[in-house]
Amino acid sequence: MKSRRNSLKHTDEELAEAIIFPVKLTTSQKEEAARQLAIARKATQKTISEKDRLILGLLQLKFQMEDYIRNKEFDPEFTFSYFLKQYVELLKVKRKEFAREISIDETLLSQFINQHRMLPEYMAVRLEIHSNNAIPAIYWFKVVEKQKEYELNTNIALRKKERKYVRRKLAIGNEEQ
Amino acid sequence: MKILETGSETEKKVIIGLAGPDDFKILTKKRFSFVWKTVKKTTTVYKLQIEGSEDILGVMGLIDWPGEKRIEIRLLASSAENIGRSKIYKGIAGCLIAFACRLAVIRYGVEACVSLVPKTELIGHYMRKYYMQYAGRHLYLDGNNLIKIMEEYL
Repeated sequence: MKSRRNSLKHTDEELAEAIIFPVKLTTSQKEEAARQLAIARKATQKTISEKDRLILGLLQLKFQMEDYIRNKEFDPEFTFSYFLKQYVELLKVKRKEFAREISIDETLLSQFINQHRMLPEYMAVRLEIHSNNAIPAIYWFKVVEKQKEYELNTNIALRKKERKYVRRKLAIGNEEQ
Repeated sequence: MKILETGSETEKKVIIGLAGPDDFKILTKKRFSFVWKTVKKTTTVYKLQIEGSEDILGVMGLIDWPGEKRIEIRLLASSAENIGRSKIYKGIAGCLIAFACRLAVIRYGVEACVSLVPKTELIGHYMRKYYMQYAGRHLYLDGNNLIKIMEEYL
């Protein structure tokens, strides 16, 4: 379906650089094409090095974090603990070993992974260094910030507790608040 | 993600997102090679714009095949003024292909694959320009080639 107008004006190289043309296949051609592709992919999957597997895993995690940071909504599934757990699993080392690599106690690492403690800034930086900049510290920081923002916005108990310490409220807005 | 303004040799930051209903009114065959209103019935259509600009410079229709952990680029078009020797911006198609790779990696990780069915006469060019591998009717990207194209264009 290479349009005549395009093919007259441009070389094949110029077209390939700018356009992908849709190609119609018959049902049998599609089946054959799918079969050929599956065979080729099976062969290349076997040749993917451990280093490339790790890079692809890190890219997956990084892109997930990027999209989540860009998304305005807080999602309780995507806490820093979730991403940290994914990171440690990618490394295929025991938690104890990973904790040693970033010079923290294994118990502290478990507290981060189980969300019993918020991830401090120094940890975001250590994770950036450990990943050789594959996942920047700012990504960890922003994921934590998003979580803190949500918790602050929805913490009714804290508001109730703190109300008694405020002796005077500005006389603007709704008195019921 | 950046494209290069060929005249001034300056890089422009681009964003890629889903094409909305209003976009299809301006995605004409004259400027974008295909009838995109028809394309949107069978593919998910993404558009490329320079950050802060409303003008669309490239469009791409994708089909996701979750069972095969693969995303197919069904078709892609740079705008008419960005094809050939006198193009204004360089790298529009590369950014769109890299974006498809990014989507595939998010969804399928290590097993991610991006493929297309090329016109026969363009096969060699796609392989040289975009690191694609040959698989009969399909060209595809996976493993190290996915990494290479994302490193170059993302």
